Amino acid sequence: MSEDHPRDWKNLDLTAACRILENAGRRDPASVSKDPSEQLQYIINSLCDLSVHDGLTGLVNATFFHAVLNREIERSMRTAGTCGLMVIDIDHFKNVNDTYGHSVGDKVIQSVAAQMKKSMRSMDTAARIGGEEFAIILPDCTPEDALKAATRIHASLNPFTATIDDIVLKLTTSVGLVWTDPNATSITSSVMLSLADQEMYMAKRSGRGRMCYRHTEPIFVSSHEKSALMNISFEERLNG
Amino acid sequence: MGSERKRARRYALLSGKGGVGKSIITANLAATLSTFGRRILVIDADLGLASLDVILGITPVSTIQESFRGEQSIEQVLQSTRGFDFVPAASGLPEGTVLTERLTAGVESAIAALEERYDAILFDAGAGIGDVVMFFAGLADEIMLVVTPEPTCLMDTYATIKVLYHTHGTRDFLLVVNQSGPSPASADAGERIAAHLQEVISSHFESQETDPVRIRLAGSIPVDTAVKHSVMRRRLLGETNPDAPATRALTRLAAFIDAAIRNRKTP
Ligand SMILES: Nc1ncnc2c1ncn2[C@@H]1O[C@H](COP(=O)(O)OP(=O)(O)O)[C@@H](O)[C@H]1O
Ligand SMILES: [Mg+2]
Repeated sequence: MSEDHPRDWKNLDLTAACRILENAGRRDPASVSKDPSEQLQYIINSLCDLSVHDGLTGLVNATFFHAVLNREIERSMRTAGTCGLMVIDIDHFKNVNDTYGHSVGDKVIQSVAAQMKKSMRSMDTAARIGGEEFAIILPDCTPEDALKAATRIHASLNPFTATIDDIVLKLTTSVGLVWTDPNATSITSSVMLSLADQEMYMAKRSGRGRMCYRHTEPIFVSSHEKSALMNISFEERLNG
Repeated sequence: MGSERKRARRYALLSGKGGVGKSIITANLAATLSTFGRRILVIDADLGLASLDVILGITPVSTIQESFRGEQSIEQVLQSTRGFDFVPAASGLPEGTVLTERLTAGVESAIAALEERYDAILFDAGAGIGDVVMFFAGLADEIMLVVTPEPTCLMDTYATIKVLYHTHGTRDFLLVVNQSGPSPASADAGERIAAHLQEVISSHFESQETDPVRIRLAGSIPVDTAVKHSVMRRRLLGETNPDAPATRALTRLAAFIDAAIRNRKTP
């Protein structure tokens, strides 16, 4: 920069930030306050909010979801605890969109998200990770706790009645649940998500409206496998 | 003739644990395969801690990361050495450890642009089961696991196989047992480790089949001071120690891969 003085924040170029807010349907900073510092604070808060949340539901978005899940997996490994992951998919959602149009579909998604928020625990993180697919991170809980929490959430959504204007829709959801094994090797959020997805597809195949889960993670190396693996001599016989 | 063209066979060298010899094996394998007349492309896929350029004694002009950013074309990044082509990567850039759209699209377009010219592509991937490693594994036709005869390494290899089996549906693995550690093992260490892994997998993986996963020993490399000697001089084994036991073992590994490349199917 060629200026001799540090730039005054009042001269910051905020056009790009304002355009993003406009496109996201947020209020114009000028309408929020006359005070430039309050306007800037509003812009920062709104951009933070947009970068973390899904615009339709207000749940956490997919990017932030992976960051939170990775952190929780790490924490559960460090503390020898368990972290649960629940994947929720609305059954036959395509029919809703095809029959009533996308705006009704969007409202269904919003009401499912609202119900999820009501039935989950305060420490859980709910995310919208795809069109009609949601995930809930159940941190720091025993497998029994995870199962209990997931069962309650699933029950509140199964069946689920959404009233949109004068349309009443009775929907079901399929759920997959997995949890980390404190005795196993750590995994990444995407691997854990793909395992939860597999369980969810299992729930779909077995008739929808169901929940499938894993007692033990086959992808984690169990203590049985560990001891079988170590049942080879590395020194005496290999050196023989 | 055009329809007769065979697609390059892609090999990903992986290991649960780091420092087991992936990069040494990749470099020497590529050089030996090219003396057999195979057209080889090596991609340094350890985008967090790239080191192949150091092993090859090359100072890269530019790196694959620059091609992701559009600053260089992949042709400009490509370097020729010892009869094969090499795509170097930058080391120490944290962005190389995160699987971004830019990274996946960059790698895929680089492969699409170059693949035609080669018989085989070798990815020297990083250690562990991170997203970037799993991405390269997904691009490969063959997974080559490098393992040392140590409990920790065996454990990590097993976990890697299990994760790939569940996430990518990988069922065939090539194993290279490399004794990068200080203590020499017996001549049959390779066979014993391959058989042991196979047995533990077959008795513990949940599956209707007897062998849900097949482990094939592709090569066994003895501990050899010649390896360190060549690394220190930033040369390949064939250049510094052409008759060393490790050099001969790597030539046998190359012959094994050469046969597979020649027999590869047309797409
Ligand atoms: N067969 C071997 N005998 C002796 N030392 C070896 C052998 N293979 C590898 N090493 C040593 O291990 C080090 C790490 O190898 P490298 O290929 O860089 O591992 P990676 O790419 O798996 O991290 C080498 O620098 C070398 O000193
Ligand atoms: Mg390496």
